[in-house]
Amino acid sequence: MGLTREPLIHKFPFYLEPIPGGSLVLASLDKMINWARANSLWPLTFGTSCCAIEVMMAAGASHHDLARFGAEVTRPSPRQADLLVIAGTIVKRMAPRLRTLYEQMAEPRYVIATGSCAISGGPFIYHSYTTIRGADEIIPVDVYVPGCPPRPEEFFYGLLTLQKMIKEGETIRKPGVRRRPVLAALPPGITLSQIQKEFQKLLEEKACVNMQEAQEKGKIFGRKKE
Amino acid sequence: MGLGISTLEKRIHLSKETGSPLSTQEYFVNMGPQHPSTHGVLRLVLKLDGETVKEVIPVLGYIHRGIEKIAEHQTYRQSVHLGDRLDYLSAFTYNWAFSMAVEKAAGIELNDRIQTIRTLFAELQRIQSHLLWWGVFGMDLGAFTPFLYGFRDREMLTDIFEETAGARLTMNYIQPGGLMYDLHPNFVKKVKNFLKYFKPKLKEYDALLSGNIILQQRLRKVGILPAEQALSLGATGPVLRASGVSYDLRKQEPYGVYPQLKFEVPIGKTGDCWDRYWIRLEEIRESLHLVEQLIDHIPEGKFMLMKPAVKIKIPEGSYYTRLETARGVLGVFIVSDGKEVPYRMHFRTPNFNNLWSVTAMAPGGRLADLVAILSSLDIVVPDIDR
Amino acid sequence: METQTLLEKLTALEPTVMPREKSDCPAITISPELLLGFMKKLKAEPSLAFNILCTHTAIDWIAENRFELIYQLYSLEHAHSLRVSTSVPRDNPLLSSMSSIWRIAQWQEREVYDLFGVLYHGHPDLRRLFLEDDWKGFPLRKDYQDDFMLEKPEWA
Repeated sequence: MGLTREPLIHKFPFYLEPIPGGSLVLASLDKMINWARANSLWPLTFGTSCCAIEVMMAAGASHHDLARFGAEVTRPSPRQADLLVIAGTIVKRMAPRLRTLYEQMAEPRYVIATGSCAISGGPFIYHSYTTIRGADEIIPVDVYVPGCPPRPEEFFYGLLTLQKMIKEGETIRKPGVRRRPVLAALPPGITLSQIQKEFQKLLEEKACVNMQEAQEKGKIFGRKKE
Repeated sequence: MGLGISTLEKRIHLSKETGSPLSTQEYFVNMGPQHPSTHGVLRLVLKLDGETVKEVIPVLGYIHRGIEKIAEHQTYRQSVHLGDRLDYLSAFTYNWAFSMAVEKAAGIELNDRIQTIRTLFAELQRIQSHLLWWGVFGMDLGAFTPFLYGFRDREMLTDIFEETAGARLTMNYIQPGGLMYDLHPNFVKKVKNFLKYFKPKLKEYDALLSGNIILQQRLRKVGILPAEQALSLGATGPVLRASGVSYDLRKQEPYGVYPQLKFEVPIGKTGDCWDRYWIRLEEIRESLHLVEQLIDHIPEGKFMLMKPAVKIKIPEGSYYTRLETARGVLGVFIVSDGKEVPYRMHFRTPNFNNLWSVTAMAPGGRLADLVAILSSLDIVVPDIDR
Repeated sequence: METQTLLEKLTALEPTVMPREKSDCPAITISPELLLGFMKKLKAEPSLAFNILCTHTAIDWIAENRFELIYQLYSLEHAHSLRVSTSVPRDNPLLSSMSSIWRIAQWQEREVYDLFGVLYHGHPDLRRLFLEDDWKGFPLRKDYQDDFMLEKPEWA
C-alpha cells in the first residue's frame, strides 16, 4: 500500500499511523491550532507612508502574491484582524491611534514592523520633532523586516519567519512578559547585539570615534541627555 | 485682540441640531486616520444629514515628520532623499525638482544626455503613478480587478527602474549635477518591449472599467469643481485641467527636453470626476507618445558632472523652481545664506493644495460620492503633511 | 511682462514698494499694513491678474528679529510670477489674512501659524494644522527647544 511510516511532521503537524482497516492520525492539538493560525493570518490594512505601497499593496497584488501565504484577507477593522503590519513612519499624533488599534485586536495577535521607519525611526530620526523612533516604543513587535522600503520578497521572508515562530508554539503572549523581537533578515545564529558590537568596532577603527565618550554624551543610540 | 485661536473641538461643535421630532438631525462622523479609502493617514470629520454630506473638515498631521526642519540641518545632497519620501509615487520627479532647484541656484549647466534621461524617467514615472491611481480608484469604487491589472503592468516599469536606479520605490537617482548611475544596457530594449506590450492594454482598461455603466453613473456630474473656484483653491495638475483651465508647466514653462517634444495636454470640460478620470488615462497615452519620441535618441555623454563628495554651496538669496508631477505643480523654495546647509527650505506640494478642493466639492453630495471625489483627486498623504 | 515694466507698474500702484534683492524672479517688499489692499489690486488689475497664489511661507530671520512672510504669485493669463514679501516683528507677528482674495491662503496661513506662530487678522478659522491643538511652541523657529528632538552627531 502507499501508506508510509515516516512522519509527515515536516509538512503537516501530525503523525500518520497505519492500522488494519485504515490509518490513525496522531497530533497535538496545540500544534494543529498553531498550524492553522500561521497559515491564515489576516492582516490589518494599516499603512502610513511609503512602505504601505511596497509592503501592503505591491506584495498583495500581481507578481508578488500574498494570497499564497494565506494572508490575503486584509481587514479594515482591527476586531477582525490578527496581524498588524506597521508600514510607514509613526509620528506622535498617530501613536495613540496605533495603540488603540493594537488594543482592539483580539488575542492571539502578531505585529510585524516593516521598513526602517517602523523599526527605528528611519531617515527621520535627527532633527524631527514628531517622529517616534521605532514602533516598538508604542506596541510590542514580533518581527522586524528591514529595508527602505523592503522588497515584497523581504516582507515575505518576514511573514514566513513569523509563521515559523507561530508553528513553534508562541501563541498566547503572557501579560507583562516582553518577548525579544526577531530580525527577519539575518541568517540563523546571528543576533542583533552581535551586529551592534561589530558596528561599534568598525566605527572605532575607521572613523576614530570613541564610543565610550559618545555614549556618555548620550549622542548615539539613545536620547540626548541633558 | 479678539483673534480667537480655536481648536478642533470648538470647530466641530459649531453646528446646531434641527428642531422638530420628525426632521432629520445633523451629526458628525469621523472617517478616521486608519481607513481603507483615505489613501493614507488622512482624517476627515464629516458633518452628515442622513446620507448627505454637509461639510468636510480634513484633519492633518498624522504623518507630519518635520521634513522642512530636517532639511535645515542637512547639506543639499543629503536632502535629496527626503523628497523621495514626500510623494513616493513620483519619486523621480521630486528628485528632479530638488536637483533642478539646486542647479539653477548654483548655476550648474547640464548636458543633453542627463536632461533626456531625466525626462524619460519622469514620463515613465507618470505612467506608473497613473497606473497605480487607476487600480486604486477601481478598488475604492468597489471593483477589485483593476487593482490587480494596474499592478501587473506597474511591476514591469518597477523592474525597469530597479535595474537602472537600484531601488523600486524611493530611488534617489536624480542628483544635483546629474544622475547617480548610468543607464543599464538593457534599458532601451526593455522600455521598447514595455511600449509594445502596454499599448493594447489601454484598450483593455477601457473595456474593463471606463465603459462600465455603473462607473459612468457614479462619476458623471459628481464633484463638479468650477474653474474659478479651482484656481482660487490652488488646485493644479489633472484636477485643474479637468475644470477647463489649460495649465501644464511642461508647456508653459518648459524644462528638461520638453521644448523639443510634441505632445498634447488633455483638458476637461465640466470638472466632474469623470473628467478627472479620463484625463489621466489620456495623459498615460500622451506619456507613451513622449517616451516613444525620446527612447531612440538618447545622446551620449557623461551622466554625472560633479564629484559626489563636493558640498554644494548656493549664493545668498531666495530661489523658487517649479515642476509638473503626476499630481500637479511641485515648487521648491530655497533660501540660502551662502552656507552648505539651506537657511529655509519649503516645498510647495501639489497634494496639499489639491486636498482642499474636497471642501468645496463634497457638500451636497452623498457619502459614496465623497469616496469617489477623494479618490479622483489622487492625493498622497505624506505629501500633504510633509 | 518684463521684469522692469512689472516693477514700474507695481511702483505706480503703490509707491512704498521696494524691490527685494537676491531673488531669481521679480520680488518686492511692502509693509504689512498696506498688504491687503495691495494684494487685492494685484488680483483685480487686468494687466497684472495674479490669480494663483502658488505658496505662502515664512522665514525666521532670528538675527534681525523678524519674520519674513513670502507670497509667491503667478498670473495664468500673462505668465509672469511675482514674489511679495513683508516683514513682521518676532515678538508681535500680526498680519492680515489673504483668505478673502485666494481661498487656498486660508490653509497655507494655518500652516504658517502652526509652524511659526504668526497670527492672522480676519482669518475664519485659525488653529493648528499639523500638530496637536495643545502643542507648546512653534517648531520651525530657529530657537525652538525640544527634549524629544535628537541632534545629529558631528561625525554623521
